[in-house]
Amino acid sequence: MPFEPKTQVFNSKINTIVLGTGDKAVQIGGNNVLPFYSFDAPIENAPKVGVEITDEALEEYVQPKLKAFYDGCNTLPEMAARAQDIQGVSFLALHLKGADPNGRNRSVDECVALAESIAGAIELPLVIMGCKDIEKDAELFTKISEKLSGKNILVLSAREENYKTVGASAALAYGQKVGAESAVDINLAKQLNTVMTQMGVNPASIVMQAGSAAAGYGFEYLASTLERIKLAALGQGDAQLQMPIMTPVSPETWGVKESIMPEAEMPEWGDAEERGIEMEIATASACLAGGSDAVIMRHPDAIQAIVRMIDELV
Amino acid sequence: MFEIIFQIENGEPISVSANQGDNLLEVARSSNVAIDAPCSGNASCGKCRVKLLEGDLDSLQTAHISQEDYDAGWRLSCCSKVTGNATVLVPDIAFAYQQRMKTADLSTGEEVAIFEELQAEIKNTGISFCNEFTTVDVQLSEPTLDDTMPDNERLEQELLKMTGADRCKISLPAMQNLAAALRNSSFHVRVMGEQKEDSFLVYAISPAADQTPLCAIAIDIGTTTVSAVLTDLETGRLLSKASAGNGQIRYGADVINRIVEQTKPGGRKRLQKAILDETLFPLIQLLCKTAKVAPDHVMRVVLSSNTTMNHLLLGVDAGPVRMEPYIPSFFHYNDLYAAHLSLPVHPWARVFLAPNVGSYVGGDITAGAFASLIWNKEEFSLFIDLGTNGEIVFGNNEFLMCCACSAGPAFEGGDISCGMRATDGAIEAVTIDKETMEPVLTVIGKQKPVGLCGSGIIDVIAELYRTSILGANGKFTREGRRIAWDRHGMGRYILAFASESETGREIAITEVDIDSFIRAKGAIFSAVDTMLAALEFETDMIDHVYVAGGIGSGINIKNAVRIGMFPDVELEKFSYIGNSSLSGAYAMALSDEARQKAAEVADSMTYMELSTHPGYMDRFVAACFLPHTDAGRFPSSFQE
Repeated sequence: MPFEPKTQVFNSKINTIVLGTGDKAVQIGGNNVLPFYSFDAPIENAPKVGVEITDEALEEYVQPKLKAFYDGCNTLPEMAARAQDIQGVSFLALHLKGADPNGRNRSVDECVALAESIAGAIELPLVIMGCKDIEKDAELFTKISEKLSGKNILVLSAREENYKTVGASAALAYGQKVGAESAVDINLAKQLNTVMTQMGVNPASIVMQAGSAAAGYGFEYLASTLERIKLAALGQGDAQLQMPIMTPVSPETWGVKESIMPEAEMPEWGDAEERGIEMEIATASACLAGGSDAVIMRHPDAIQAIVRMIDELV
Repeated sequence: MFEIIFQIENGEPISVSANQGDNLLEVARSSNVAIDAPCSGNASCGKCRVKLLEGDLDSLQTAHISQEDYDAGWRLSCCSKVTGNATVLVPDIAFAYQQRMKTADLSTGEEVAIFEELQAEIKNTGISFCNEFTTVDVQLSEPTLDDTMPDNERLEQELLKMTGADRCKISLPAMQNLAAALRNSSFHVRVMGEQKEDSFLVYAISPAADQTPLCAIAIDIGTTTVSAVLTDLETGRLLSKASAGNGQIRYGADVINRIVEQTKPGGRKRLQKAILDETLFPLIQLLCKTAKVAPDHVMRVVLSSNTTMNHLLLGVDAGPVRMEPYIPSFFHYNDLYAAHLSLPVHPWARVFLAPNVGSYVGGDITAGAFASLIWNKEEFSLFIDLGTNGEIVFGNNEFLMCCACSAGPAFEGGDISCGMRATDGAIEAVTIDKETMEPVLTVIGKQKPVGLCGSGIIDVIAELYRTSILGANGKFTREGRRIAWDRHGMGRYILAFASESETGREIAITEVDIDSFIRAKGAIFSAVDTMLAALEFETDMIDHVYVAGGIGSGINIKNAVRIGMFPDVELEKFSYIGNSSLSGAYAMALSDEARQKAAEVADSMTYMELSTHPGYMDRFVAACFLPHTDAGRFPSSFQE
């Protein structure tokens, strides 16, 4: 008997979120099919890759190939302009980790100025990542949303503790897109989406950040959470889980020992930068297979690999 | 050595010596000064307030004490260390909870009606309310110099003849009283005893004219409250009833804190003394006095309590109850007599414990499930006992499954900043106007409000949610004169302004309180949810829901469903059955068959351990939302 493939068709769909404006605006989400299940239904909108520039990138991006890529850039806006040339990237993520009051404690004004200068240097849509300090992030997102109003940026992200402020300012007052971040738990993710929509934020302005992890670092929790969210959104038609998911990969993978242990200390592991690239590829591909609609990455070589993977599978 | 004087409001001062650095709450406990401390001194409930009148204390000012109160001398006793001589005022409101406790103790006509209906239903199942106690009117020939048979043989001979028994035993108390009893009534006596098959046991002897009944006592020993009834063994009439706070409460509000306390040196003795000497003895004496019954006429006692309580009562180590794999010392223990515990009743009275099912499903649930009759119905019933622990039984006449979850002290008002037990001054019901956001309060005792009790908390949260003042995550979303924010940004809803309350302090429910309560209701619902899922049952297959426990008949089921505490089934499927543990214990005291049946019910219940169940945590997180993360499961809960 000949093999007859049975296709799984869902009547529900992930919301489509538009970031940025004009020609370079990008759509995230929008599919009614499980990740890369192109045999079930056509994938209308391929997953997207964004490139991360941290506010400490000038000192932080020291790996030889990474450094070579940004060779000649003396400022962050120059780096950002260079980054958008990486083939296949759809948006740029400015990661304001230096704003952390327990770290460099970069002032809000300084961050706003930096965001503005980067926005001016690029054509791609901009995502602003905070420093994880609840109060500082709320203030940063508010001020940057105000300054860049009309640019249709995404702030990543509002959490249980500050969603009221972030939702009210970024989304309601300045019409930007807002991320809803929860700690690797489908119920908490849905609860945050629910309270944000209850306060009036349009579901089409919300992107989920349902947690992040490097492969091998509790990643199975993240993978199963992503998968459960997708199955609830598509299979059960749960409108409160139909927001697309964006997962920051590089901030996790470039902090683990596989990526940072120098070759001199661990010669049998081989070249440190190659290891970092592989960690990034492994993690990003797993996130995409789990259900992320967009990933944030750093290394051009890793990004190339993932872009190629997406091209071939979609 | 310093002297600490506890100046008890409306009471005698108590003076004790203490060392530098001693914790004030512990000093109070060791000298039997009862300070309400539901969290057992973790500085989390804010209930152990005392007022420093003289001297000094080294005290931490916690979030529970405002600057104004701190300046006025208010301190949390659990956060205070002795640094010198001091006099502290112990407020009446904390001290008097034991006397003023209101619980499901048959003190109202409504509760008695619920109780009697339940008993009638038990009888309808065909369980005979018979026991083997009996009285015999005996006329003996008086001894003479020629008739020298001793008193006991004289009595035994006559009893064997009259009762048809083969053997006769006389209990020691009866023997001790025998000579006087016979001679004071010209050898015409009333013998009270128990005839079991061929043997007759004499409990007591009184003059023939004595009419006082043979009695039994049934006691429900809850973690927080103890309630008891004294009944006529022949007619089943209730002769008296009483309730009190569990004396162990000063060692912690929940079973875990009690177990922690009992593992400390001398702890087991302290806890046993607290429940026996301080709670059960006075309670039994009061029952006998009210009913005008001599203590030695009480010939049977049935105790219904959770596993930890019955272990602590017997002085048995309850430590293993809280450690994996959670194995208690016993489920059934049937070889107990009143003398073993020095209960002030007939020393030979059998003391029966309602059998336990697991470490966290105890005899109280056995008795409650028995009384609810869910074991006798074809329809599927859910039995929920709301207390410090929530216990759940589901099933019918073919199977019964049970589990327990820790709801914490929220239902009794612990862990809630303005919470209190359901005594005078407690707000027990609330409605809120959607437009004005103004509340209408129903207060127990028709006085100014003092705080919120369990049923009041359910109402407030349900009403705040209905009126969209509260979001689904338990955070305030509207502004108004009733909503206030502290410096940390925590919101509260003011139920009574300082000028409107009995204590002169504002009564409000905070976001932290609401969060605690949402966790408590989440624990209950997720336990039900996990158990039904394990059995592959849908909510709509539940035919009856029996709600039991001291939370009171005041509980508004509609509101409890609105906040997602109970499954969303038709309201007419719910019945409030009051203190089912006491009802079951009463039936077990009167009826040997009921006791046997209850033991069978206990043995037929399958215990499900939730703490190790993989899906429980996930369901719990989903239930910690108003009404539930999956709102579709609560179609009748909505915001207006």
